[in-house]
Amino acid sequence: MALAPGLAPARGTRGRSTAELVAALTSRDLHLRYQGSIFGWAWSLVRPLALGLILSFALGKVLGTGITAEFLLAGLFPWFWFQSSVQAAAGTFVGNGGLLKKVRFPRAVLPISVVLGNTLQFLFSVPVLMGVLLLNGHEPSVAWLALPLVFAVQLLLTIGLAFFVASVTVFFRDLEHIVDVLLSLVFYATPIIYAADRVPDSYHWVTVVNPLAPLAEGWRDILLDGEWPTADLVYSVAITVAALVVGWFTFRRLEDSFADGI
Amino acid sequence: MASDPPVVVAARGVSKRFRMVAPGQELKTMLLHPGAAFRARRHRATHWAVRDVSFEVRRGEFFSVVGANGSGKSTLLRILAGLSKPTSGRVEMNGRLTTLLELGSGFHPQVSGRDNAIMNGLLVGMTRREMEALLPSIVEFAGLQEFIDQPMRTYSSGMYVRLGFAIAAFMDPEILLVDEVLAVGDARFQEKCYDHIAALQQKGVTIVMVSHDLAAVERFSDRAALMERGRLIAIGEPRKVVGLHVERLAQSSIEIRTALEEHIHADQEGMERLLAEDPEAAAAFAAALETNPEFHRLMEERAREQEPAAKDPAEPREPGRPGA
Repeated sequence: MALAPGLAPARGTRGRSTAELVAALTSRDLHLRYQGSIFGWAWSLVRPLALGLILSFALGKVLGTGITAEFLLAGLFPWFWFQSSVQAAAGTFVGNGGLLKKVRFPRAVLPISVVLGNTLQFLFSVPVLMGVLLLNGHEPSVAWLALPLVFAVQLLLTIGLAFFVASVTVFFRDLEHIVDVLLSLVFYATPIIYAADRVPDSYHWVTVVNPLAPLAEGWRDILLDGEWPTADLVYSVAITVAALVVGWFTFRRLEDSFADGI
Repeated sequence: MASDPPVVVAARGVSKRFRMVAPGQELKTMLLHPGAAFRARRHRATHWAVRDVSFEVRRGEFFSVVGANGSGKSTLLRILAGLSKPTSGRVEMNGRLTTLLELGSGFHPQVSGRDNAIMNGLLVGMTRREMEALLPSIVEFAGLQEFIDQPMRTYSSGMYVRLGFAIAAFMDPEILLVDEVLAVGDARFQEKCYDHIAALQQKGVTIVMVSHDLAAVERFSDRAALMERGRLIAIGEPRKVVGLHVERLAQSSIEIRTALEEHIHADQEGMERLLAEDPEAAAAFAAALETNPEFHRLMEERAREQEPAAKDPAEPREPGRPGA
């Protein structure tokens, strides 16, 4: 039997073991992140909440755009989920170099568990976001049933990018920093602190090229206006499929040399 | 033992080439000075860490590989373990494989010994339930009863190795690959490990070990092989192979030099921990350094080289720190 590097030893219970491994890695990451801090995972709420409040002051009150805190929050929570996932994924293979060099296990569990950890954090924060919306007079609508759709598209897009960024960073370390910079640019290129319909027609392409734009609009359409997401979401789905394919094949192509590249 | 047990581990013409990153070939140079990088391409240096290595190990055999540091034996073991792909040639493995390669690197210092042990099992394909069933025996073997729920940063390097060995030993392996991890434990625990390995061997487990502990190689191996600059230059009776190794080692001070340099380069942290905790090793190391002026020169050279580079890119990073 020839050895296939990257695959762990064959055992009857392989599938369950891999699932348990992902679960264990995810819970360890979450546990370590808030170990010893008094407010624990509540810190993951502080960042979007604080940014939402200050921006609603700066943009809404000072600049007089009339933008509200709940408008901002409905965009910021999903954005931070995306941002921290991709950012953490960039360092996951490099950061676990010791493990990759010494132990044979399915490498895919590392980016998956990073994204999963951030996803759980996001899911825990959703009730808080909904609470804020309800307090501000938004009523639950039947369109909320579309939330899983937007959620799934964003999750898959994040996973695709995570695989790509994590794999390439092993051989091109600058990518981690490039990702940092790009993320902070994409934040402004995405309709989070403004509505997509305020983008001038000549720049409309920005909201098409950027798969996060229809997603950000989708979250807000559903949560704030009780409307179903628009057909623009198809752009996001197409780019998500592309990201998954490119991310997965890049990972498969490079995973055998991770142990040598770190 | 049966007259001719089947071959369970085989290397067939295994070679591994590493590209050396020389000045002018780094990605940085390529981006900033493409002309210079293009000229440097012609002198692209490669290094054959393992070169055309072939051998077969039969079931139940204890096979050791010796050689100076940098001779390629750890790379060979990594290829056998499936962690690294050979540039050419292939490896055949027949049986459930457990590796004991510098354990401890798979451990997370902030997490308890118990959780690390379970994680280790999950990593190699065990289920949580299987691992929890094994834990009492592992803890007892490692002698860590009162420490198993403490975070592993509080462990000594000996305790690291003991836990690592105990986990691997109880994984019910059919083939056990052992890198020189046992050198860190104390003599009594080492003895216990070798006893356990011998017991595994009795049960028909095949063992492939890479070691500097020549006495142990002679005592336990059925066969040994000697590697030199990536090639397998001798294979046979352990006593003869070890004898040849010692002889050649004495002749070649250049080997010792690269050995020391590469050892520090490969595992600076481990080295520092070892030196801090084991006065004997520290003394032996200091003596080796003092008698080797060439080594001083190399270290100075390295220090000068590293100064402008300043930051280590391999530094583990904290996840999730966005700054939008």
